[in-house]
Amino acid sequence: MPEFNETGPEKKGVSRRSFLQFAGVAATATAVVSSARVAMAGNGWTIGLEGVPDERALWMYRTMLRSRWWEEEMKEAFLAGKDGLYGAFHISIGEEACSAGVMAALNEDDYIASNHRGHSHLIAKGGDLSKMSAELFFKDSGYNKGFGGSMHITDVSKGILGMNGIIGPQYLFAAGAAYSAKVRGTKQVAVAFGGDGSVNNGWYYSGLRNAALYKLPMIAVVENNGYQMSMPQQRTNSLINLHQFGAGLDIAHESVNGMDVMAVYAVAKRAVERARNESLPTLIEAKTYRYYDHSGLAGAKPGVMGAFGLPYRSDAEVRAWIAEDPIPKLRRQLVANSILTEEKADEIEAEVRKEVTESIEFARNSAAPDAQAGLQHVFAGSSVSPSQFIV
Amino acid sequence: MVNKPSNFAMLEALQHGMRNDPHMTMLYEYQRPVAAGPLGNVIDLYKEFGDLRIPDWGPIDEEWHVGGAAGIAMTGVRAIARVPSMCVTRCFELVFNQVGKLRHMTGGQVNMPLVIWQDAAGRNPGMAGQHADAGQEALYASIPGIKVVVPSNPYDAKGLLAAALQENDPVIIFHYPAIDGNPTDVPDDNYVVPIGEAAIRQEGTDLTIVGYGPAAVEIKRALPGLEEAGISAEVIDPRTVKPMPIDPIIESVRKTNRLLVVDHGHETLGTAAEIIARVAIAVPGAKFARSTFPDAPPPGAREMIAWMTPDAPKIVEAAKHMVA
Ligand SMILES: Cc1ncc(C[n+]2csc(CCOP(=O)(O)OP(=O)(O)O)c2C)c(N)n1
Repeated sequence: MPEFNETGPEKKGVSRRSFLQFAGVAATATAVVSSARVAMAGNGWTIGLEGVPDERALWMYRTMLRSRWWEEEMKEAFLAGKDGLYGAFHISIGEEACSAGVMAALNEDDYIASNHRGHSHLIAKGGDLSKMSAELFFKDSGYNKGFGGSMHITDVSKGILGMNGIIGPQYLFAAGAAYSAKVRGTKQVAVAFGGDGSVNNGWYYSGLRNAALYKLPMIAVVENNGYQMSMPQQRTNSLINLHQFGAGLDIAHESVNGMDVMAVYAVAKRAVERARNESLPTLIEAKTYRYYDHSGLAGAKPGVMGAFGLPYRSDAEVRAWIAEDPIPKLRRQLVANSILTEEKADEIEAEVRKEVTESIEFARNSAAPDAQAGLQHVFAGSSVSPSQFIV
Repeated sequence: MVNKPSNFAMLEALQHGMRNDPHMTMLYEYQRPVAAGPLGNVIDLYKEFGDLRIPDWGPIDEEWHVGGAAGIAMTGVRAIARVPSMCVTRCFELVFNQVGKLRHMTGGQVNMPLVIWQDAAGRNPGMAGQHADAGQEALYASIPGIKVVVPSNPYDAKGLLAAALQENDPVIIFHYPAIDGNPTDVPDDNYVVPIGEAAIRQEGTDLTIVGYGPAAVEIKRALPGLEEAGISAEVIDPRTVKPMPIDPIIESVRKTNRLLVVDHGHETLGTAAEIIARVAIAVPGAKFARSTFPDAPPPGAREMIAWMTPDAPKIVEAAKHMVA
């Protein structure tokens, strides 16, 4: 896995299609070597498909693609400007394996509590692309009816306790949801997702500490993408391997290559079993990377995946991580193991792209909310008064 | 003199303070104290005073920034905590039960030369609930022992921060980005805008309009519309929420007999309520009204938040309604 802040040889710009194209080339080469279910020697930390049902592996592939293309197309729409998009937009591209790997180990009725960089968490937990698109367009047909925008998308019916614009509450919410599962005796599991910056926060400590104390079926997934905004992780925390925090609480804790969906899945599966069967928490640190800037589209260009020229990290570093992209990695594995043909893989991609395009069309054609709707939903069944006007 | 962005102007005040006080220390999260001025000149306080008095980076730990700064201040070292805009109340407990109470509770022993530079949000479309709220200065003003100032332009921002840096009591200064929509000349030299002193922005006879911070910016935008409507408005910007400079407002309402308070905060127990209560006691029989953001979180969609925000057109309409 590449190091953060490394300066390596500059490679050519990576186009938005190439994460799939170079996958095809590599997959052919690998297929010649072996078609058995072998561990891919991509980086020495990639694990194989042993014991993973084909449908689950395919689900992970499609899920990562849905997230990737949805965010890529949304980015294109932001950049094109013709939809007049506005508001917060934190892109999770590069981190899809963390979401897909964890969600592949969960049941439909398990809970997740997400953060500001949560599109891929939601998509992997079954979020509806059309309602997500419409929310980014602030339309009435969006998940939050235009009240929330990107940072607050929520689908309680799918166990998605929401993305959140504030750092930290997800650990408390997941611990609370896990407590609730215990109270109701349901065997549900609750997962909190947060960034490396979120562990510097008291609510993180409180969520994990109480999950340990009350033996809660809670999992904290820290997506360590190396930066808290533009601040290198090693300068905001004395720990570099953030999972080590779990040692002090005496809970299960491990680090995983967040650019390898099978590796994430394997760790998540263990954590979910521990939660469901023993009602014990786990802290997982996934080392990963966001290809784009912290927020918005600085350094991003139409048709190019990734943001370059940012002052706080080198382009070589970004390219090194993109070379570890989890999506072509899985495609290579699936093709090498004859779970997928190149043709079928292309077909899946085309289906996903169609679904994404349709979701954006849906958003575009939906109606804006009524200006006066903002007075509703403060309380159940009543609205507040329009105190901005003198009557 | 030239126009300067408020952030730059405030860093000038801080630079002056830190140059004259060898221990003054600032904790912050990500708003690095670096800014470019209008002439391309750069203030970089980290370069000048780091790495101890101004750390290189800050963790996402607002309790540390405020609580740690309070601890620094208790030892007699002046401290500044700069808190990001979506975390305006994250440290409320620390301010409520510690910072505001320590002098009194210890029989006057504890000096608290602490300034909280609270970057505030404002009613921006697209940011939604947590990142577009405003008016939390009213919550802080309700705490005994805390002084609260809210500048409405870069000149006042620099002067009020300079004043706060001379206090031995905790001061929270709310810095709303909207005030850069109200550009002012800012002297290079250090100067003070006294805490507790209102500014009469315009004299008039028909009604008194009061608002500070972003509300004052909107009131200023409403002036041409008011003039067009033939309304002679007296406009007052209190600048300090606590201690509230109520006397000039009372005096004005005695003259105009009408008071309209514009508040970017919420209706219930917002600053507008406090101002109207104080004036109503002193000037019974006058006509009172307020235009506030409703008692709802700010929604993300542009259509909704724009309709809910007290802005210049609504201020003109409200004034017409009051003088009719
Ligand atoms: C309590 C709180 N403090 C500060 C912020 C502002 N903020 C939003 S995202 C962010 C950085 C988050 O970094 P990290 O947790 O590493 O997640 P990443 O963005 O890298 O995914 C900060 C400081 C916030 N939203 N909430």
